[in-house]
Amino acid sequence: MVRGASDRDVLSRARELALAGLLGALGLLLPIGFHALGWGGQVFLPMHLPVVVAGFLVSPATAVSLGIVVPFLSSALTGMPPLAPPVAPLMALELTAKAGAASVLYRTLRLPMWVALPAAVVADWAVLALAVSLAAGFFAIKASPFQYAWAAILIGLPGTILQLVAVPAAVLATERRVPRLRPRKRHGTG
Amino acid sequence: MPHHLDLYLKRESTLHRLDPRAKMLAVAGFIVAVLLAPMHPTWPMGALLVLLICAAALARIPVRLMCRRVLSLAVVIGMPFLLSRLGGEATRAAGEQFAARSLLVAAVFLVLMASTRAIVLLEVAERPPLISVFGQLGEFILRGVDLLVEEVMRTNRAWALRAPTATVRVRLAGLTQASMSLISRAAARSERIGAAMVLRGFQGKLPTATPTPLPWSHMAAGVAFALASLCVAGLGRWR
Repeated sequence: MVRGASDRDVLSRARELALAGLLGALGLLLPIGFHALGWGGQVFLPMHLPVVVAGFLVSPATAVSLGIVVPFLSSALTGMPPLAPPVAPLMALELTAKAGAASVLYRTLRLPMWVALPAAVVADWAVLALAVSLAAGFFAIKASPFQYAWAAILIGLPGTILQLVAVPAAVLATERRVPRLRPRKRHGTG
Repeated sequence: MPHHLDLYLKRESTLHRLDPRAKMLAVAGFIVAVLLAPMHPTWPMGALLVLLICAAALARIPVRLMCRRVLSLAVVIGMPFLLSRLGGEATRAAGEQFAARSLLVAAVFLVLMASTRAIVLLEVAERPPLISVFGQLGEFILRGVDLLVEEVMRTNRAWALRAPTATVRVRLAGLTQASMSLISRAAARSERIGAAMVLRGFQGKLPTATPTPLPWSHMAAGVAFALASLCVAGLGRWR
C-alpha cells in the first residue's frame, strides 16, 4: 500500500526520534565507560562522539535538541558534567553548535563530510569562546575567556582527533547499513 | 518502569510524596543559591549543606548510600580539585570553589533522583510547550539506555557461554568490538522502533499525561525550600 506524504513524515519523525534516543543513550553511557576506565572525559570528549554522529544522521532541529538534552540529562543522572560551575550549560552550547552545524552542512547544504566535520569542530570552538566571554562576568571566571577556551581546546585535542577519525567511520558504516539515512545528492551533482 | 541509570529509592517519605513540580522548583532555587553563595565566609555554603542534609533525611535516604553515590563522583570532581592543589593561590581557590559548588549541586540532584523516578521528571518537562521536545527526547534516551545496556550485557553473556576459557583480554576485545558497532546497530534498530511506533498510533508527537493541579501545600513546600536557600545565599553576599 502506497502511503501518503504525511504518513511518510510521521514514520520519518518516529525513526528520527528513535535514532536520536539511541544515540543520546550512547552519549550518556560512553562517558560512564570512559570514567570507569580512568580516561579523562575532558580529554577524549566521549559525549561528543554520538552527538556529532547524530548531527550527520538526523535533521538539524533534532540534532540541536539532542545537543541540549544530553549534557543536562547526564548531569542530573550521573552528576557529570557538573551543572554548577556551569560546565553542563557550556557543553550543551558546544554540542548544540557542533551537531547543528554538522546537520545543516551535511544534510541541508549537502556538503561533503570532510568539509562539514572540521567546520562543525570550528563552530564548536567559536561558540565555546563566545559563551565563555559572555559568561565570564556573570560567573566570576577570573581567567581570560580566550585563555579558558584555548585551554579547553588544547586539553580536548585528543578527543577532537578521535572525532575526526571515528565519526566519519561510524557515519559511513551506519549509512551502509541503513541506506535511507544517506543525504540525497543535489540535482546534477551526481 | 525502572531503567538502568535510575537512582530512585523506594521509600515512604514526605519527600517521595511531594509533587515532582514542587521538587523541581525547590531544586532550581537551591542551584541558584549555590551559584550565588560566596565561598568566604564559609557559613553560607555550610548552611546550604545543612539544608541539603535535612532534605535527604526527609527522603529517608540511608547515609551510607548517599555517601557511596557522592563518592562515585570522586573522579569527576575530585581529580580537578586535586590537580588544582598543585597550582598557585588563585588556582587552589578556583579548585575549592569548583569542588564545593559542584558537590552541592550533584548532591541535590542525588536527593531529587532518589525520591522521584527520572521518567516522572521527564513527563513534567514534557508539558510546557517550548521544552516538550526535550522531555520527549529524554524519555527516548532513557529507553535507549535500557536497550543498549541489555545488548552489551547479552554480548558479554554470549562470550562467557561460548568461550568460557577466554582470557579477560580476549573478552574485553570482543566487548569493545561489539560496543563499536553499537552506533550502526542502533540506527538499524531505530528503523524497527520507528515502524513499531507508527503501527501503535504515533502521530508525530508522544501522548502526554493529563496535567493535574499542583496542590498549594506542595507548592508552598517547594517555594519555602527555594526561598530558604536563596535567603542563605543573599545573606552571605550581603554580610
